[in-house]
Amino acid sequence: MLDFLQAVSDGVLFGATYALIGIGFTLVFGVMHKINMAYAAASVGGAYCGLLVLKVMAGAPAWLVFLGAFAAGGVLGWMVYLTCFHFIPLSSPLATLMSTVGMLLLIDEVIVHVTNGMPQNYPLMFDDVMLRAGEFTLRGDLLLVFGVSVLVMIGLLLLLYHTRLGLATRAVSQQPVAAQLCGIRLVRVNALTFVVTGLLGGIAGALIGASVGMLSPLLTLPLTVKGLIVTVIGGLGSVPGAIVAGLLVGGFENVLQLYRGVTERDLYVMLLLFVFLVFRPGGIFAPKSGRD
Amino acid sequence: MLELKALSRHFGGVRAVDGIDLAVAGGQIFGLIGPNGSGKSTTVNVITGLLPPTSGTILFRGEDIGALPTHLRLRAGIARTFQNIRLFGQLSVWQNLWVAQNSAEDRARQGFFARWLGGQGGVREEIARLLEFSGLAHKQDELAANLAFGEQRRLELARALAARPKLLLLDEPAAGMNSEEIAQLRDRILKLRDTGITIVLVEHVMELVMGVTDRIAVLNFGQKIAEGTPAEIQAHPAVRKAYLGGEAA
Amino acid sequence: MDFYFSLAQLIGVHTLLGLSAYIVLLTGQVSLAQAGFFAVGAYTAGMLTVLAGWHLVPALGASALSGAAVACAVGFPALRVKGLMLVIATLAFGEGVRLFFFNFDYQVAVDGIRLGPLGGEGFRQIRFFPENGWGTGEVMLFMWVFVIAAMALLWWFDRSRYGSVLRAVGEDELAAQSVGINLTAVKVSAMTVGGAIAGVGGGLYAHYTTHIEHSSFNILVATFAIAYPILGGLRNVFGTLLAVIFVQGFLVEGLRFMGDWRNLLFGALIVLAMNLRPSGFLGGRRRA
Repeated sequence: MLDFLQAVSDGVLFGATYALIGIGFTLVFGVMHKINMAYAAASVGGAYCGLLVLKVMAGAPAWLVFLGAFAAGGVLGWMVYLTCFHFIPLSSPLATLMSTVGMLLLIDEVIVHVTNGMPQNYPLMFDDVMLRAGEFTLRGDLLLVFGVSVLVMIGLLLLLYHTRLGLATRAVSQQPVAAQLCGIRLVRVNALTFVVTGLLGGIAGALIGASVGMLSPLLTLPLTVKGLIVTVIGGLGSVPGAIVAGLLVGGFENVLQLYRGVTERDLYVMLLLFVFLVFRPGGIFAPKSGRD
Repeated sequence: MLELKALSRHFGGVRAVDGIDLAVAGGQIFGLIGPNGSGKSTTVNVITGLLPPTSGTILFRGEDIGALPTHLRLRAGIARTFQNIRLFGQLSVWQNLWVAQNSAEDRARQGFFARWLGGQGGVREEIARLLEFSGLAHKQDELAANLAFGEQRRLELARALAARPKLLLLDEPAAGMNSEEIAQLRDRILKLRDTGITIVLVEHVMELVMGVTDRIAVLNFGQKIAEGTPAEIQAHPAVRKAYLGGEAA
Repeated sequence: MDFYFSLAQLIGVHTLLGLSAYIVLLTGQVSLAQAGFFAVGAYTAGMLTVLAGWHLVPALGASALSGAAVACAVGFPALRVKGLMLVIATLAFGEGVRLFFFNFDYQVAVDGIRLGPLGGEGFRQIRFFPENGWGTGEVMLFMWVFVIAAMALLWWFDRSRYGSVLRAVGEDELAAQSVGINLTAVKVSAMTVGGAIAGVGGGLYAHYTTHIEHSSFNILVATFAIAYPILGGLRNVFGTLLAVIFVQGFLVEGLRFMGDWRNLLFGALIVLAMNLRPSGFLGGRRRA
């Protein structure tokens, strides 16, 4: 029982990063009705860029690296928008799907090229802290991951619900044409959505790097799949859904890792997704069916 | 032919169709009119199965078809056209009619392989006849997307006819047409009625509705406010109020 | 010469993969499950020739059937969801198949050697071609018989009423069902045909590489499968073939002299191609 609780709590804490990645997918879907397949790769890319801080300033504190990843993620998000969305007509969904896949490959290869495919150590914070309650422990680094994720999510929700940009974003995701008629510049909202999701992704990548202890290009594909699964389980376009689903998937996979081992773990995550697709295809927070 | 009993369709709190009773007799041209947003298109979508009704029954030739999926309602004999034209733009005019030959009669006539994987030989006559009827014979190899607006409307009508319907639902077929085209459309509708097809005409253009229909029902806010012959409807006070009141607001 | 033969083999297998996605794309569905069907076909054929001692031709028939059966079984639930949900559902299915083979052990002693799939180690020693003394050229010809057969089949579909119906569904599902087309039947049938083609491709792939493992069937393979018809355009099957030759022949082999940089260029070229020609090389078909 204790093992089970421990696995759930560790998994849920780490699941916060899945939630961040899921939010990124879901926001872009909400605003543009497109999938940005390059998102998880760009997030890992942003985390890698954070390491540049250490190159410039040896021995820089870990939080500075995180900040670097955060900023680089935003820049990468904007670049993905420019290369994969801006010039491709909205009426070609296949083309944007493909272009973002191309971008995924490109980012992956740039990482492999620059690092020679070697995993890079990532700076840790609070890894020596342990909160204990009897046999039950909470790892400090995972708590940090969770705490930072929650802060970032709160920041995002404030942005979405208490600023003009957020208002415009929500307007565009609900009624793109009407929003344009009200003077909202669609292109700008789209681009800013990518920057914001990129920022989230950068910090998510850094947190994953910090809790795993290193970064590797091998992270990008599994993270893409997990992020998409979280997005679907949460309901495409639903930010709260992505948060709940991220934590759910994190806890779920960690429990199965405990009982079935690491190689079988992901198989059950896929099964979880299929259960949702069959019984609740709209996700946890399925939107009410509207007209047409 | 077609009978709606207490048919309702709600979207959340909006009662787009709210307890409509209608009876369309065989061989009639039945007009369905009403201001914008009065529930006409929703009614058509519910009859063809694109939207499930919230409550009520739909009888077609005496049978309850409420549970049938859209494609089976077509095969039973209900075809339609769309308010905003929905052709298969990247198929040729000819192919648009080819894929629409899904009547029970056409399905029985050819074996599985001849029907699905055979060439274009066996079905030419019927399609040629439809193209002739619609005045599109010279355009048969053109992509549907490249047709002029009026031609697209004609092709959509022909596509609906390719299913050999017994009941034809026309959703604003005259929208955007000039008066010459409307006159041609009127002739076609009358010709179709003479071949025994029952027609439900949803329309705003009064010169068409008043000229061809045998009977008219008026919808407003999802409810039927009047029904009768064209002359009766024109004189009906509630109808005048709905239309004029709608315009004043 | 052998180099060109093996390049032609590679192009053949990838063409089958691309064609399996092509027919599904005609109905407007983006399926990332093709790598899964490919894997099912590969393991089926490999196990039948190695463990059961079958000849390759009936084993490929079994690959086609198993690929089709799995595709049909997946098609019914998966095609209930549309668009991007389908992309993700099929992606997860493909990953599920890969993870299944990652955990799949079935070893039998053949002539004193233990053969068969062994989890993460993969499935080695699929030696039908060398054991029967087939040269690279013969293998290539054998493979291209299947590639050309698949292309001819889809070419024929395209000219038949079935092809028009597939495209009608791809263009406007609402209108298609309103003219009496059974959407589920049409989509599942396309998925099934695609599964059969991918299954044959997988069976051939297993035998010319002689060694398969779960990572040969990852998401990248699935994205390649849909990339070919999208890059080539959906006007006809030759677009897919052209895209495979361009990607595998030119980008992967032709640019080998560029070393590491080749992989960088690959992603960038896809991005560029989609910016310049959103409807593919042989495009012109505007997709709604």
